[in-house]
Amino acid sequence: MTTSADLPLRPGIPRPASGAAATRPEPPAAPRADCIADSAGGLTFDVEAPERADSWDTALLFRRRGGRGGPADELRLPLVPSGESRLRAVLPSTVRLPEGRWDAFETAPGAEPVRLTSGVNDLRTITDRHPDPGSGPVAVRIPYATKHGNLSLRSWLRAPHAEAGDLLVRDGEVVVEGRLHGVRAGRGAVIEARRRLDPSHIRTAPVTGDGSHFSATLVYAWFADVWEGAEEPWDLWLRPTGEDGAVAVRIARILDDVADKKAVYSYPARPLATPRGPAMAGPYYTVDNDLSVRIGVRATPG
Amino acid sequence: MQISFLIHNAYGIGGTIRTTCNLARSLAEQHDVEIVSVFRHRERPVFDHGPDVRVHHLVDLRKDSPEYAGDAPEHQQPARVFPSAEGRYQQYSRLTDRRIAEHLRSVEADVVVGTRPGLNVHIARETRRGPVLVGQEHLTLDSHSTALRAQLARVYPRLDAVTTVTEADAASYRRRLRLPGVHVGAVPNSVPEPRVAPADGSGKCVVAAGRLARVKRYDLLVRAFATVVESRPDWRLRIYGGGAEKERLRSLIDRLGLYNHVLLMGPAHPLDPEWAKGSIAAVTSSLESFGMTIVEAMRCGLPVVATDCPHGPGEIIDNGVDGRLVPPGDADAVATALLELINDDALRERMGRAAARGSARFDPSRVACRYETLFEDLVSRGGRGTRGRLRSSLHRTRGALLGGAYSARAAAGAALRGGRTA
Repeated sequence: MTTSADLPLRPGIPRPASGAAATRPEPPAAPRADCIADSAGGLTFDVEAPERADSWDTALLFRRRGGRGGPADELRLPLVPSGESRLRAVLPSTVRLPEGRWDAFETAPGAEPVRLTSGVNDLRTITDRHPDPGSGPVAVRIPYATKHGNLSLRSWLRAPHAEAGDLLVRDGEVVVEGRLHGVRAGRGAVIEARRRLDPSHIRTAPVTGDGSHFSATLVYAWFADVWEGAEEPWDLWLRPTGEDGAVAVRIARILDDVADKKAVYSYPARPLATPRGPAMAGPYYTVDNDLSVRIGVRATPG
Repeated sequence: MQISFLIHNAYGIGGTIRTTCNLARSLAEQHDVEIVSVFRHRERPVFDHGPDVRVHHLVDLRKDSPEYAGDAPEHQQPARVFPSAEGRYQQYSRLTDRRIAEHLRSVEADVVVGTRPGLNVHIARETRRGPVLVGQEHLTLDSHSTALRAQLARVYPRLDAVTTVTEADAASYRRRLRLPGVHVGAVPNSVPEPRVAPADGSGKCVVAAGRLARVKRYDLLVRAFATVVESRPDWRLRIYGGGAEKERLRSLIDRLGLYNHVLLMGPAHPLDPEWAKGSIAAVTSSLESFGMTIVEAMRCGLPVVATDCPHGPGEIIDNGVDGRLVPPGDADAVATALLELINDDALRERMGRAAARGSARFDPSRVACRYETLFEDLVSRGGRGTRGRLRSSLHRTRGALLGGAYSARAAAGAALRGGRTA
């Protein structure tokens, strides 16, 4: 059990770890919000508010990160007394929340909004979601604690949507399978790999499936000839039919409780011979939980 | 009672700090409780000790504080009282020696509690006459070096009590150190009731949590899970925590082709909602001085499959009732135990409910009650310095019974006292 390994040692003794001393003064403790998810994706927020437990004029404010502060970048939900010194707000699954990262604040008339700290996020009901493939847009909101411990929300809103499932990494190729929502794979359906550096470079793999289920095998050798030696991603899209003009769907993995897939869902890279020499290739999730394939010198990105 | 804890750093993060905050908070419902932190490097403690516990520090290491003492010349000189074989020796100094001694010479308390070996040495040697002296062991005697054990053996006889977190470790103390007249007993760490509803056993997920360190043997768990996946590919394993073993585990997972089934989740705080997503917990360590994560998982309603390693698991899990104990180092045995619970929904749910019930004995209020009984008993017997005439007959009896051992303790005490006043 370590207690405080970051305390400075006496001078002359090498420090095992570096750590910056906390700066003073620290702001007063911010209110803490717990969140509980229902199986449809609706979220209930409980804010600890012992001094404001009877208050009817506060609101839960979400601001989209990187937004301009316009109406589309803010969402306000009434916070109402719910007993036990708590205020409660509900974000139903039916409320439209554009894609992005949303920071949570408590706000009252005439006062600056206060950033909420993240308490207990009980997300057990959304660890493995299987919404009806036929019904409307796929809406996902995953509350999470930022690295500073604040409450934020990751939102996706996709219609149609291609949800990635298990991946099978083999020598020289990867099998991608998943489920389609809001569209069915028809004759001529393909997975398109689009080179991010130059989207005119496209490689396609035929899709097998029964309409809502899809599966395709991507061969890494397809990416070898144009590789220029740097870290190079190819983004994966699903084109449901072979017809020109059919809308392609970005393949992503969003139907669970993991807000940031990149570090958690990690897949092995495999050697790939290219005209520029040996490389490594493998699938990975982007910071937006979209599925891509990466060609690079190293097995893992630096 | 007035109870004064002495802790390395109440402002940090760690098991000892958390359990001390829990204990102090519960004791403060009935008693006057303070936590004295040798160091302070942050404005506020991370763990909640409740409104009634006073917390203060002896050495301020906040760089922007007017009291900042990190550059004091005295702090550059090695400690003389804090034992040199202690793991944190390099953080202690002549300054901590002096400040701790000043605190202990004037401490207003009926009970003074040390929370690590080096601080137990301080309280044993330097506390004014009067208070009862209790030294806590949060790790185990076996985990200390021979040199530290020798240093403790010389000073611990001056304590009134030594508490360990397991009966097994208490037995080690009784067997390996001669502590005549010192009460040696086990009081487990406490774990509060989780702030989420218990798991209902339906999640097809095995959960493990802890530092990714070799001693935790997550490699064993991953191998065991390879066997699980052969017959139950619908189940997943989530391992929470960070640490030096991460890359090694990552490549093991990749080599075994388990990247769809075994997820390294990274650190999570709080953990309770993560336990509640699973329906079985797994602990495959080769050593657990207590087994805090076992209790945490049980309080969230998860049966635990654990290796029967020294020291904690066997004292926490009732084998076959609220979990399964398997031989350490045996991946097949771990897999068999996991599959038994995975393949029998009724058994898993029954054991999960039993785990939630059984682990209530680790509630801070219950653990605090055990400490309270111990402290009251010791206070009524009288602390080291107040065992005056009233207890002299008892002393003589014990002295006669224990012969040389007791005399050695008295002589050692006299020598130390003499050394200090000289």
